[in-house]
Formats: sequence, structure tokens, C-alpha cells
Amino acid sequence: MVNLTIDDTQVTVPKDATIFDAAKAAGIRIPILCHDKKLQPFGGCRMCLVEVEQMKGRQIPACTTPVTEGMIVRTTTDEIVKARKLVLELLLLKHPIDCPVCDAAGDCDLQNLTYEYKVNLNRFQDEKFQHQIDYENPLIERDMNRCIHCGKCARICDEIVSYGAYTFMNRGIEAKIGTEFDGPLNCEFCGSCVSVCPVGALISRPFKFKARWWALNKVKSVCSYCGTGCQLTLGVKDGKVLTTIYDENQGFHNGQLCTRGRFGYQFVNSDKRLATPLIRKNGVLQQASWDEALTLVAAKLAEAKNAGGKAVAGLVTARLTNEELFLFKKLFKDGLGSDNIDHSAGYAHAALTAGAMESFGTVASPAAISDIQASDLLLVVKTDAYETHPVLGFEINLGVKRKEIDLRIISDKRGKLAKLPKAVTYVHKPGQEVALVNALAQVILAENLQDATATGIEGFEALKQQLADYAPENVAATCGLDADAIKNLARDYAKAAKALIILPLGLGYPGHGKALAQAIANLTLLTGKVGKEGCGVLYLGEKNNSQGAADLGVYPTAGGADADAIMTGCLNGSIKTLIVAGENPVVSYPDRKRVEAALDKVEFLVVQDLFLTETAAKAHVVLPACSFAEKGGTYTSVGRAVQRINQAIKPVGEARSDFAILNGLVASLTGSAPYADVAAVFAEIAATVPAYAGLSLAELGDTGAILPVTIKPRFVPAGAAVIPVESGKLALVTGSALYHCGTMSRFGEGPMHVCPEGYVELGRDDARALSVKEGDTVVVKSASGELKLKAKVGTRMPQGVVFAPYHFGEASVNSIAAGAAVTWVSISK
Amino acid sequence: MIMPLLQGLKITFLHMFKKPVTLQYPKERPVVVPNYRGLHALKVSHEQAKCVACYLCPTVCPAKCITVEAGEDAKHDKYAARYEIDLLRCIFCGYCVEACPVDALKMTQEFELANYKREDFVFVKERLLEKK
Repeated sequence: MVNLTIDDTQVTVPKDATIFDAAKAAGIRIPILCHDKKLQPFGGCRMCLVEVEQMKGRQIPACTTPVTEGMIVRTTTDEIVKARKLVLELLLLKHPIDCPVCDAAGDCDLQNLTYEYKVNLNRFQDEKFQHQIDYENPLIERDMNRCIHCGKCARICDEIVSYGAYTFMNRGIEAKIGTEFDGPLNCEFCGSCVSVCPVGALISRPFKFKARWWALNKVKSVCSYCGTGCQLTLGVKDGKVLTTIYDENQGFHNGQLCTRGRFGYQFVNSDKRLATPLIRKNGVLQQASWDEALTLVAAKLAEAKNAGGKAVAGLVTARLTNEELFLFKKLFKDGLGSDNIDHSAGYAHAALTAGAMESFGTVASPAAISDIQASDLLLVVKTDAYETHPVLGFEINLGVKRKEIDLRIISDKRGKLAKLPKAVTYVHKPGQEVALVNALAQVILAENLQDATATGIEGFEALKQQLADYAPENVAATCGLDADAIKNLARDYAKAAKALIILPLGLGYPGHGKALAQAIANLTLLTGKVGKEGCGVLYLGEKNNSQGAADLGVYPTAGGADADAIMTGCLNGSIKTLIVAGENPVVSYPDRKRVEAALDKVEFLVVQDLFLTETAAKAHVVLPACSFAEKGGTYTSVGRAVQRINQAIKPVGEARSDFAILNGLVASLTGSAPYADVAAVFAEIAATVPAYAGLSLAELGDTGAILPVTIKPRFVPAGAAVIPVESGKLALVTGSALYHCGTMSRFGEGPMHVCPEGYVELGRDDARALSVKEGDTVVVKSASGELKLKAKVGTRMPQGVVFAPYHFGEASVNSIAAGAAVTWVSISK
Repeated sequence: MIMPLLQGLKITFLHMFKKPVTLQYPKERPVVVPNYRGLHALKVSHEQAKCVACYLCPTVCPAKCITVEAGEDAKHDKYAARYEIDLLRCIFCGYCVEACPVDALKMTQEFELANYKREDFVFVKERLLEKK
């Protein structure tokens, strides 16, 4: 620690702090334009000049100067104010004074400082810039005339996003922030550059001219897309969510968001939102009143209850709040006496609900998000971890770049993460993850690299026997990897002091199920890399509340039917009533034809959703539900963080929250009084779910709480499924596109601007062999059907493997993929 | 008893030969001073409203009577797609004119603002445009 004096205040700060950090710790504000707490110091704007007594009155930048013992710093003297005024005058020389039409006004650092330093006149005169303004981009508008060359956009894109869309170009007075060949912006559109721009040079196009910053009501919430659990601030005006607001002090990610979080909010106020309940009359869905709809649903459910509850089932999305999921479970368990309830766990989250449950004795990941940067070696299963959870991808970027974490990726394709410095990617044949992970474990056993604790864990001998078949030499050929590469990876993993494994889950990844989760668990247990800082496994649940759904047991726990069995039940007539809350099985569950047939067959289908989805269109009763912006509650994210969402706007139309709907149904079916509010249900969750013990909704506050996890380790041998190889065909793997999450992001304008339809991604060699060019429409044919998709050609896919995202309703990939890890397809023009 | 009555009538009689002190409105029109704060007008330049929809007038308005919605025109410029003043709420303080950074708003000498229906007091953009 270093002691210094700033403006007569004694401060003690760590020795790697800068004067700026020290002043901040002492509560002294030093004006900045080019500095951001997330970025490396830059020292470009000269606004933060301070005087240090030991340096004989020289003015030095506070943001780049490290503190030294006994420093005496002055932050505001007449000389400094004069210097800062000069900086502002020089900036205003070129900066257009178009504040009335600039969206940054009110939240503009330059404007605020100009006001603060009373720069009313300018001693200098010059012409303004005449750069062309980029109006074409649907998400980010670039007006380089307003740019003050702080370089924050270029730095955040490089340091955190690791994309590098911007850089300074040209020299001297002609210098400007440019893109690749000064062309249109073609990046990930995460909008990080917009969030840090101190002026209005980069603005959000969907929000352009919509409202003034000061007129927005700012409501803190949690993103409702992926499971990362990014906190965000919604900008609300006149009952509409107009934008997301950057707050650098929010969450582990410091306000950093991905394209879905920042630009995907429009689904909340979409024109397509359902406004009234719908009831099918004479084969057509017709508007109805809530009373009519709820009476009908309650009557049908009471009928089902009296029939014994076996014939009723529920599918719920893991996007609902913990409180809603709890009520859904209660409705089935206590209200209907049924255990036929699932949140696509069987398809997407079996890694948590079955895999982690058997291996670790808990349904949660034995690691937290903070472990990513605390680790020495990251083993990421599939580069898709970046696409499914982009903000965790930023954490990986930061770890690799700043903390020199050794990044290893085992994946069936290359991707963004593979491009990180020193990242090593082991591209294996699709569907061979389990065999590969088992081979790693086998090497560790064979070379005696296991941790001393491993032998004491139940099931060690059985595992040892089972792994004997997975010697790298046996597995290498089927995996398409070199046996030595596998051995080296295993050695590096075992020898790293701290190592973390990251496994993304989701409906697009049918191979990432129970077996893979257990194979990975075995690997961590063998090497003792669990239960310590920077170690363990992070199972990345797909949806915002996947972890909550697993915690609350929203899957069959007493022999009931899971999602797959519910579909079978609907088809064979054993399930007659089905409640679907927020799920869209028609698009997201494997084998579309089968799902459609099942939903057509079921006698009474109730769908609670925001939109008239492909599934809702088949319903007998559709109940309009509320989005995350219209209700309160809690979500539990990947890192087991329980965080609060707050109501920002009134429900759209007559929509009611799933909480209100389920609360009413539970009360009418159990005959008990309905819960008073969300807090009452949360209190019951805290009382009944061990991990949530002791929590209360009020105490969660803005930051939330990290749930404790205790593991009961056990080795469960995980056998690799044999992937039949069909020669002459291409292996289709499904997954997530960076711009989308589940099927909900389709209703946000932002994601649809950049990724409006499904596609099939081919490697260059395959594309050449098939003479397919980027943008061509190709026919993808599998055993279960065929599809027309746009082709995308790149360097990401290895030869013989093609990729398609699963989010889209039209030409949905599940009409050709039936839930196998790999679907063999042929592609023709 | 009769005297006070006659005295009163005398005053009345004398007034018949004096010039009236009141303004004979509406036959006579008052002279409105130039800085009178009457009905607002949106100034027009190059055949369009000068207003750039900066939202400063609704921000400064103490009576919250101004509603602005910005739009983007074909040249990507900002303009007021909607500009409304609710005169029933307006207190004619003139802060809106003072706040306007582009001199797009003025207050005219128009003072005859009575109307029959409440909705007629909401002046939309077309009604506010300066008449030349």
C-alpha cells in the first residue's frame, strides 16, 4: 500500500493504482474524457492533468501516472483549470456544436465539462470536419465529425470484445477513427463502442431521436436472454422501453453487454405482442376476456386433476422468474398431482439436472463467473461458448489477454475464441466430445497425474475400468485428433495449478447432455480441480433462468414424464392436457414434425406467451404474458447469482404476468389463498430450497447474491455414444448464433437487423466442392426432411462439417435435425 | 332623500359627455405590446419549421404542457414529428422561447384563445406554425 496526499486528503491505495484511482478512492473527481475503468490507461485527452509537488509544478496526467509514496497532488489549481480550458477549447474547435440534435446531449462528457469549466468563447477558429456520416448501419450510427479521438471505442473493441473493428487512421489533422478499409461497420454489433463514446460520435441507431437522456426513467434489471445474468439498466419513457443505458458500475461485467442485451430489447414493446387472451372457437383463435379464458383453463385443469393428474403435463421456459417457476411446479405438484413437468431439461439442461446432480450431488455449477479470470488454464468445450454467452466470452478474452490464462478449446469448429492470442484449439470430429474428454481422463490415470483425493471418491475403480477403453491411441482416429495432442492437453490440464472447464448448454447442443457433463465432472474430480478458486466446471445454462429452473426442480423428480416423454404422451394420447408457458417446442425442440403432430393431437393446449408463436398458434387457449420489463422477481444466472428484476413499465395491453396467471390457477386448484406478492413466494423458496436459505427479496438489493454450493463428488462413468458415420454426407451440427438466444430474440429488431434468417455455414473447401457461394440458397437434406437455407461460407467450419443456428421459425433446423448430436445431411444447390 | 338621488344622476349625466375610459372590445382592438406573451408560434424558415426537436422546451416547461416527438427526415435530420402545446395547462411564462437553442419558437400577440371544446385548446404543430 502507498500513502499519498491529494488536495490535502490522506489516501492509502494499492501500489499499482494511478493518481486517478487514488483520487477516486478519496472521493475527489478528476475530469476525464479518454479514460475508462475497464480499459488500460491511455492518457490521450489531457483533461486529467494534475500537479505533483515533487515534480516541481509540472502538469502530469492522473490516469497514467502511478502513485508513489508521499506524493502530494493538487487536482485543481488556477494553472490546471487554465490547461483544462485550453484542452476543451481545442476540442470544441472541431467538434460541431449540434447538441440540440445530438442524442448524447445530457449524457455527453464534453458537454458536461464545457459547462463545468465555463468555456463560453473560443480563442481559436477553424473549419469543422466534413467526414461522411454512416447512416447505413442499422444499429450503430457513426458521425466521425463529432469524434474527439479518445480512442475508447477502438480500445474496448480490442481489449474486451477482441474484435478490433476500429482503429485510428490517417495522420495529423486528418486522423480519425476508421473501420476496415474505411468501409461500413461489419462487426459483432455489441455496441460496446456506443456505450463508452464520451460524445455523440457513436450512437445507437434504434434509439436515435427517440428521447432525451434526462427524460428517461432508468430502471435496473437483469437481461432476459442468456444465462450469464448481465445486469442492465432500461431507459423507459411513456410506458415504453426505449433503450438500454450503460452503467459501468453494474455487475461483474461492469455494464458490458452483448448485441442481444444492448440492442435486443424491442421485443418488449413489439407490435406483435399479444394484448388479449385468445380462445379457439370453431377452429379459429378469437379474442376473449380473461374471465372466460381463466374459467375455461381452471375447469379443464380441475377435470384433469380429478382424472388423476397423469394425463396433464407442463412445459415451461427457463425464462420465467424463480417465483413463477416455483408456482408452476406447485401447480403441478400440489394443484394437479402430476410430475409431468419440464423446462426442456431433457433436451437442453440434462447436464445440470442429471449430469451435475449425479456427479456433484447438486444441480449447480461448482464454480462461479469470478473463477474465469482467477484460473490459470481454461478448457472450453466448443468455441460456441462465445456465441451462447458473449459476455462470458468477454471475461475469457480479458483473462487471456490481461492475465495470460492458457486457453484450450476442444471444439468441432473454429470460432472467435480460437483467434485469441496463444489459444490452442483442438478441432475434433463432431459429436466426439465425450470420447475426447474420457481420453483426457485416461491419460491422467495412465500417467498417474491424478490428485491424491481422487482415489477416495466413490466410483474410482469403476471409472478406471471404464476409461481403459479410451486410451488416446484408440480414440484419436475417431476424434480426428493426434494422440500426442490429446496427451499433451491432458498433461497441461492436470499440471495447471488452477483450471476451469466451461461447457455451454442449450437446445441447439443436443450432444451437451448428461454424459458429457459427467465425463467433464470426472476429469475435474480426478485432478482435484474442483471446490477451489479458479477451478471447477461452469455449466452455462442457455436461458436467463436455467439455473433457477434446475434449482427449483422444474423437471420430473418423481418418475414423471420429461419433455421428450411428454411429446410421446401427447402423441399416444396418454397426455390430454398440456400447459406450455413460454416454451416454443415447435421451433426449438428436436424433430419438428413429431412435435407438431403431438401438439395437434393433444386435447387441450394452453399456451402462455408474449407472442403468437408457432406453438401458440396451435393452442386452444392463449394467455398473453408479461416480459421481464413488466414484472418483478428474481433470476438465477450461470454463476449461481440470484438477481432481482424490477418492473419498468405497465403490462402491455391486457397482458398479465405468468406470476399472476399461475398464482390464480394454483389458488383455484389447491383451494388455498393466493400468494400476496412476489416477495411471499420468494420467502417460500428461501424456506424450501436449501441453496436459497436465508435469502429475502428485499435483501438482494441491486447486486444480488451468490448462492452457496456444496458438492458430494462421485465418479459416474460416462460412455461415449457411437456416432454413426455416413460417408459422402456432411455432418450438420446445430447451435446458437451470436445475435440470437432461443426463439425470443426473433422479436427484437436489433438481432433481426443483423441476423434475420436461418443459414447453413460451410467451410471453404466444402463450399468449393459443392460450388456454393456466400448467399446462395441451398437445399439441406437429412433422413427426416429437407430445408432451403442461405449458405454462409467461412473459415470457421472444418471440412465435412456444417453448422446451422436453431432460432428461426421459418425453415427451422429442427425439421431436419431430430435431436442427435450430429445429423448427416447432403447439400445441393 | 331626493338629493342623493339627484347627485347620483348628475354624475351619470356628466359622464354622457365624457370620453369612455374602457376599450370598446371587440369593436375596438387593443394595442398589444411587442413583448406580450400570447399564443406560441413555430417559426418557419425555408418552408419548414425551424424546430429541431431538441426537447429543451418540454424539459424547461414548468407546466409540462409541451409534447414533442422527434423524427428523422429523408436527409437524416432531426425534426419535430409531433409538437403540441396544451394551452389549458400553459402559464405563458415564455421559458420555452428562452430555452430554444435554435430560435424556433416565439410568442405572438395573439390573445383571443377562448374556445368551446377542451380538445380545441391543444395546439398541434400545424396550428402552431407561424402564419405569414
